[in-house]
Amino acid sequence: MNPSSTEREPAAELSEEPELIVARYGELWLKGKNRRNFEQILARNVLRAVREISPARLQRAHGQLAIYPERRTREVSRRVQDIFGFTSVSPAWSSPKDFDAIARIARHVLGQAMRRYPLEPTVAFRVRTQRADKTFPVISTELDRRIADHVMPDFEERLHVDLNEPELTLSIHIRPENAYVYAERLKGAGGLPVGTLGNALCLLSGGIDSPVAAWLTMKRGCNVSFVSFHSEPYIGEGSKRKIKQLAHAVSHFQGPSRLYSVPFARCQEEIRDRCRPGYRTVLYRRMMQRIAQRIARRAKAGALITGDSLGQVASQTLENLTCIGAAVTIPVLRPLICFDKEETIALARRIGTFDLSIRPEPDCCTVFQPTKPVIRGSLAVCEEEETNLDVEALVDAAVAGVEIIRIRGARG
Amino acid sequence: MNLVDTVYLDHAATTPLLDVVRAAMEPFLDERFGNPSSRHTLGVRAAEAIDAARETIARALFVRPEGVVFTSGGTEANNLAVLGFARAKRRQGAHVLYGATEHSSVRAAALALVDEGFEVEAIPAAPDGGIDFEALASKLREDTVLVAQMLVNNEFGTIYPLRRVATLVRERAPRAHLHVDAVQGIGKLDLDLEALGGGSYAISAHKIHGPKGTGALVLTDPAKKPRPLVFGGNQENGLRSGTENVAGIVGFASAVEAAVRDVTATHAHLAALRARLAEGLRGIEGTELLDPAPASGLVPSPAIAAVRLPGAPAEVWLHHLAQHGVLTSVGSACQARNNALSPALLALGLAADEARSVLRISFSRTSSAADVEAALAALARVAGELRVAGARP
Repeated sequence: MNPSSTEREPAAELSEEPELIVARYGELWLKGKNRRNFEQILARNVLRAVREISPARLQRAHGQLAIYPERRTREVSRRVQDIFGFTSVSPAWSSPKDFDAIARIARHVLGQAMRRYPLEPTVAFRVRTQRADKTFPVISTELDRRIADHVMPDFEERLHVDLNEPELTLSIHIRPENAYVYAERLKGAGGLPVGTLGNALCLLSGGIDSPVAAWLTMKRGCNVSFVSFHSEPYIGEGSKRKIKQLAHAVSHFQGPSRLYSVPFARCQEEIRDRCRPGYRTVLYRRMMQRIAQRIARRAKAGALITGDSLGQVASQTLENLTCIGAAVTIPVLRPLICFDKEETIALARRIGTFDLSIRPEPDCCTVFQPTKPVIRGSLAVCEEEETNLDVEALVDAAVAGVEIIRIRGARG
Repeated sequence: MNLVDTVYLDHAATTPLLDVVRAAMEPFLDERFGNPSSRHTLGVRAAEAIDAARETIARALFVRPEGVVFTSGGTEANNLAVLGFARAKRRQGAHVLYGATEHSSVRAAALALVDEGFEVEAIPAAPDGGIDFEALASKLREDTVLVAQMLVNNEFGTIYPLRRVATLVRERAPRAHLHVDAVQGIGKLDLDLEALGGGSYAISAHKIHGPKGTGALVLTDPAKKPRPLVFGGNQENGLRSGTENVAGIVGFASAVEAAVRDVTATHAHLAALRARLAEGLRGIEGTELLDPAPASGLVPSPAIAAVRLPGAPAEVWLHHLAQHGVLTSVGSACQARNNALSPALLALGLAADEARSVLRISFSRTSSAADVEAALAALARVAGELRVAGARP
């Protein structure tokens, strides 16, 4: 027992559960007329994401959003950490704006925060007050000092003040209507709110790369829909299930979406039977891009996204990427183009798609694979080979056979 | 999925519930929901239902009721036998043998024993699809405590000469317990567990038109017990704790009763279906029934036909056949990496591409002559489809 604290009033009897979440967004994109629109989209994204955990009330303030969930604040806080647009997130307690109330809550918050340092003999600590309300009678530095004096006796010698490199910062926000107190600053997902930069369509295979490419594009504010190509009846429905699961998992970061599932066996059969074997892969992919471009138009998507990475497989040389890209006029985003496989895998693990991606499920049948795919394809040859095909009819038929699958994209 | 137009020929994977089984189970999903461990009448009634089920199965298999240990299915029964008997006999030795073509629930359990200090070896398969008895004889030792050898292979249907295995084990490894995975044997073959010579047998309900989630380890000598895997309330005589799956067990007993009662008729029926399939396949170029060599003296189970198919991996055939409503199975997926290929098929001496070309067609008592004709017609159509498509290699 701490002798000095027994002489004092006990710390405030507050719940273990924080009352609200302070989520901060970057200021960079907050210029001009777009600001209101961006804030609205961000608020909508928050409400949609946390809805399944708890109803919540939002309060907008300068550069930050206060989220008041009805319950399970910690879990809501973790969910908010996955929402693009926030730089950092703090579970917080609110307090009436008088010194005694703030001090009582500060002791409680600090008591909880100190559980994160069970073994450290001493913890470098500071109090940091921000006054949005300058009418508050105590100035910030003075409040810092008085709160520190009030809370430190609870922990005897374990806290020492270090204004420059604190391990633990107890933050106090004096606002016009109340004060916030918190001691945690968790990393946000960064990026821009999903939906502020329009729509894009991701070509989703069953592999590791394309879900990561989709995630990176969401991070830059795009709503992502998905298109996948299946070779039924050469492969089974299991592949489609895997693609659905991947789309669902990565949509955790954006909310509901759509997956356009395209029957592709006919295109593969035609290319295999009528074109040079070495060009098969490049020609398949040119067809996929054409079909995806059509669907993008329908889905109002302004760009295609692929998981291509330079030199990773035969179809990903500069020459082959040129051949493939030349089949369409829509911009093709390749967020992973200069990633090493290890970097992509690390991201896939972080966003929770890796374990799904490595489940063995064929995405293209071996009967369509050439034994020696061309490494440096030529566009002229591609175009010549395609004169053996009725490209437009094949695209039309594939698009006509599209199955649209709703992706809930809630908690992954 | 429209089941009316479906020709289901994947009975080695699972089978539909028989009406009589469903009827037996229903009261236990409804008003007879008691916990067999409860002291009140509702509980005692449930315990009595399990007693009756145990007796039914014991009677059908000619074993003592105490020898029937209910589990969650074939996998758990195999795990209980392999891990449980090896551990129970640890003091007598630490050498374990398992058949090269065993089901994964035996193979993986046996290999898990390596971590406990056991020496674990596979019994090689003979090129004829049977057991390499010379190798088995040389591997059996004084300190061999467990031999696991399946009765019917689940991928290609070979019936193994189990009596010969049992005799050899008794001669060369008198301390060894012989465990038999009989999941694909029961209900298809007329079994005499005593005469076959195994000390324990794994059986499963859903392979014989019973419910999923129920099986049993059958002990020919209930005095010889494995160590349990699941601890708790000491149900199943301490060998398998956990509240019993009462409805499942009741359904299981009903399924065993029907299967064993009708086994002679079922065997003849299945043999006729398989013979017709073999005959029909001769008319489809490039296909080949994977039967043991006649000289080997081995016979295949009438319920399982492994067919090698030309032109494309068996999985491509499988999906094409499914388009025509015919549901089958493959042991090795189309793109399975070489280390993920069926160990059983490789143990037969098949190369990787050959293993990928094997399709399994499996029958049960509910299969009909019309099913076989539909399968043959679909195979012929798919052969055409794939041949046309495969014009340029």
